[in-house]
Amino acid sequence: MFQLKHWRARALSAALAAVLLTSCAGPPAGNVVTLSFFQFKPEAVQEFAGLIDEFEAANPGIRVLQNNVPDPDTAIRTLLVKNKTPDVLTLNGNASFGLLAKACVFADLSQEPSAQEVLPAVQDILNANGRCRDSEINGLPMANNASGILYNPEIFAKYGVSVPQTWDGLIAAAETFKANGVAPFYMTLKDAWTTSPALVNLAAQLQPEGFFDRLRAAGTDRNNSPVSFSKDYQEVADKLLQLFTYAQPGAAGVDYASGNKAFADGKSAMYLNGSFAVPAIRAANPEAKIATFPYPVTNNPANTTVVSGVDVTLAMGRETPHRAEAQKFIDFLLSKEVIDRYAKNQSAFAPTRSAAPQQDPALQGMASYFTSGKLDGYMDHQLPPSIPLVNITQQFVLDGDKARYLNTLDNEWFKIAARMPKRGDQ
Amino acid sequence: MTHSSKAFYWMAIPALLLFVTLHTVPALTGVFFSLTDYAGYGTWTFIGLENYFSLFKDDRILSSYSFTFLFAITTTIIVNVLALGIAMLLNAKIKFQTAFRGIFFIPNVLAILIIGYVFNFIFSNSLPLLGQWAGIDWLSTSILANKDLAWLGIVAVSAWQSIAFSVILYLAGLQTIPADLYEAADLDGAGYWRQFRSITFPMIGAFFTINMVLALKGFLQAFDQIVALTGGGPGTSTESVAMVIFRGGFQGGEYGYQMANSVVYLLVIVAVSVIQLRTLQRKEVDF
Amino acid sequence: MATTETAASARTAADTRGLRRRGRKLDSVNWPLTALAAVLALTVLIPLYLTVVTALKTPDQLGGPGFEWPSRVRLENFSDAWNLTNFPRALLNSAIVTVGAVVLTVLSNSLVAYAIARNLHKRFFKFLYYFFVAALFVPFPIIMLPATKETALLGLDNPVGLFLLYTVYGLSFNVFVYTAFIRSIPRELEEAATMDGASTWGIFRRIIFPLLTPMNATVGILTCLWAWNDFLLPLVILSDPATRTLPLAQYVFQSQFTTNYTVAFASYLMALAPLLLVYLFAQRWVISGVMRGSIK
Repeated sequence: MFQLKHWRARALSAALAAVLLTSCAGPPAGNVVTLSFFQFKPEAVQEFAGLIDEFEAANPGIRVLQNNVPDPDTAIRTLLVKNKTPDVLTLNGNASFGLLAKACVFADLSQEPSAQEVLPAVQDILNANGRCRDSEINGLPMANNASGILYNPEIFAKYGVSVPQTWDGLIAAAETFKANGVAPFYMTLKDAWTTSPALVNLAAQLQPEGFFDRLRAAGTDRNNSPVSFSKDYQEVADKLLQLFTYAQPGAAGVDYASGNKAFADGKSAMYLNGSFAVPAIRAANPEAKIATFPYPVTNNPANTTVVSGVDVTLAMGRETPHRAEAQKFIDFLLSKEVIDRYAKNQSAFAPTRSAAPQQDPALQGMASYFTSGKLDGYMDHQLPPSIPLVNITQQFVLDGDKARYLNTLDNEWFKIAARMPKRGDQ
Repeated sequence: MTHSSKAFYWMAIPALLLFVTLHTVPALTGVFFSLTDYAGYGTWTFIGLENYFSLFKDDRILSSYSFTFLFAITTTIIVNVLALGIAMLLNAKIKFQTAFRGIFFIPNVLAILIIGYVFNFIFSNSLPLLGQWAGIDWLSTSILANKDLAWLGIVAVSAWQSIAFSVILYLAGLQTIPADLYEAADLDGAGYWRQFRSITFPMIGAFFTINMVLALKGFLQAFDQIVALTGGGPGTSTESVAMVIFRGGFQGGEYGYQMANSVVYLLVIVAVSVIQLRTLQRKEVDF
Repeated sequence: MATTETAASARTAADTRGLRRRGRKLDSVNWPLTALAAVLALTVLIPLYLTVVTALKTPDQLGGPGFEWPSRVRLENFSDAWNLTNFPRALLNSAIVTVGAVVLTVLSNSLVAYAIARNLHKRFFKFLYYFFVAALFVPFPIIMLPATKETALLGLDNPVGLFLLYTVYGLSFNVFVYTAFIRSIPRELEEAATMDGASTWGIFRRIIFPLLTPMNATVGILTCLWAWNDFLLPLVILSDPATRTLPLAQYVFQSQFTTNYTVAFASYLMALAPLLLVYLFAQRWVISGVMRGSIK
């Protein structure tokens, strides 16, 4: 009896050991190069897993280890202090990416064949966030988002409103809906960041040429700066406030998720957001009617641009020992076929010349601006990320105190310029 | 007794060495970086006390301190009063004692995403309905969206979440009270309130002190629950010190500057805790 | 003498624990207090009900009043969560880290606290006490990046390093509470054992550690909670994605612009269950421990 039990236990542990060994062993170590791949988007894990399978099948000598980490901003810093900079990375092309690029964390990709394929307007937006040297390219765009006004074509048709081409047209449309008892916009002020799609579009078209370059050049000297938020953002602030006067009652307590649901269910004619909200709106209601148009910020339609950011930026660790393999992987991810598929599956815009135009009817309204390069970058990517821009803007939209808003922005900007004299204008 | 005292050293010294390596050395390194312009990566230079001077000129930092104090003190008091009450309740002869202990433990285990979602929902949907029905103006809209009241919402949820932790400690404390004390008091005809004041409270004095100090220290470092409920808003009205440190230091690239803030913050927390310990221990009955 | 006295009083304490009302039978159920507990429990049960209901919905049923039972129950939320988080793997990782942290913490921290509590009159141990307790007040951001770098240099950026960190960082708090408890244990017990020739280690193992049972259970519960739910330390310490714990794996539901609430809630409920069982189990230990420990 005892004997038997003992024998069984031994067999069981042997079987367990075998399972553990086979599951850990993987393919033979031979000449296989393993690339560590930092992938920042949780929603794209499956997408990239599929892409990696394809890539590995075509390149038997290379294995790619996808690492999707929560809180990518913090996670990438911990990898840097551990001296474990990933071989290949995706990151959002925002101000934090710019800071890392300035610190020369990423390799120069300007000689990459796929770099020649990128739409110049998009590459400029990315480069403007910051790079190691002016001759370098530290990140290549794989997918872009676009912020624009989402609208419900059925409601527009019902009240005979056509897509506004000018600022006055936009306000007239809002008034028409309001007069008919339809919420013109659905505002979600509980989530501070949802004030920023409108802000960045107004800023992109209304701020003076070279505003941030001149602001940086002013250094710490607030009094003698040729530009400032108080001087140059008056119209931006006025128009922002004007849009938010159309907020539905109780908007201050509504969060983004509820806003998506409300817009999806046809509770408002328009929604101040962008392409990134489309998948969420469809998840809330698969039947949602969505179309888009760019923010008509002035009364001259020729001025209208689309504010776009690089949603997925590909970068390479500067000191990677596997440069050739990393390059191969990046080239694969930037191939026409992969870019097109990714854009389609993730409701994104493809940032390369050869890419197929975005077919999603919800994004049609902005697609032509993309191909013609009428693009602007996000204004908040130019601000140091330690300024709580969205919170300050949320406060302004709630209390309407314009002088205080612009003064706070100036105050924060010059305070940080004084703290980081070197980093501020690198 | 020498061999026994040698044994005591052997019990403590390995732990001390590990602690110094894994905690003290990193802490001193962090303090050192407060004297640099380090971004957390890349190169850095030594800039002396400059970060500290900038700190006192930064109005955003100052307002985060005042919010944090208001929040932490209020929540500490609420949590300890309620936790002591609930611990005594759970320790009493009630039916379904095990089940109740399990239920009151749940808030401490729920993920912050759940807490954030559920309470955002309650604050913006359920309570306003109640407020409109009862005709209470300030309750008719989400209090989290109200610049003057949002902090109370955070207090409520933080208290709800952390009471379980204090209850666990109070329960452990209540176990240490010998029952014959109550029997004697019963014989003397001491009332319920009287028994609480002269037996229960003095006997768990040490646990009260521990809980008060820990709660205040914990709430002074509040972070998760604020991110989940208001994200520091409306505006920057509920931005806590820990939030400023995280956003500026780890996400915003001002690591050195926020380390200086952390050092000041450490000194403030220690000072407050020492004052608190002194006051509370004076009132504690040593047993 | 002393032994029997403590044992006797401890036994009474265990038998008759609780609030007593004048003139009441000690073992009769107090119904008014039970009712009060039930009312208070609602403050927990209502949010919990919302959580369960959300975990059973489809995304398009979110919003609205929220309290209604889902018109279509979607149990696939649980299987989706299982697959998306690679649940068995993450559960195993969390279990390794948590069990490792709890066992090591209870064994080592009580030992350190014993050495300190019995020697507080000596300068070294007094210093040690204040040194550990002072560290309780160091905000985590100060040590975060340097500790990350150091653990990586020492090759500890893995689950073993992680539970070692919980054990070491736990010292601050645990020494505090253990010391308070040990000081209330009469020394006569140990003196008697020394007379019988027991060593200091033997006294700790056979007398002190069993007496600490309720405190061990309390420290165990708190350590378990911490290690199981902690997000930040695993985030910065663990380098290999295969060693990811549950709180990290569950982040897959939160992307920048959307959160998959229904599936996320299902996954959080699955992660909650084992912890609740552990707590109920350990709670019995807190109560029965007083008696068991002192009878030996």
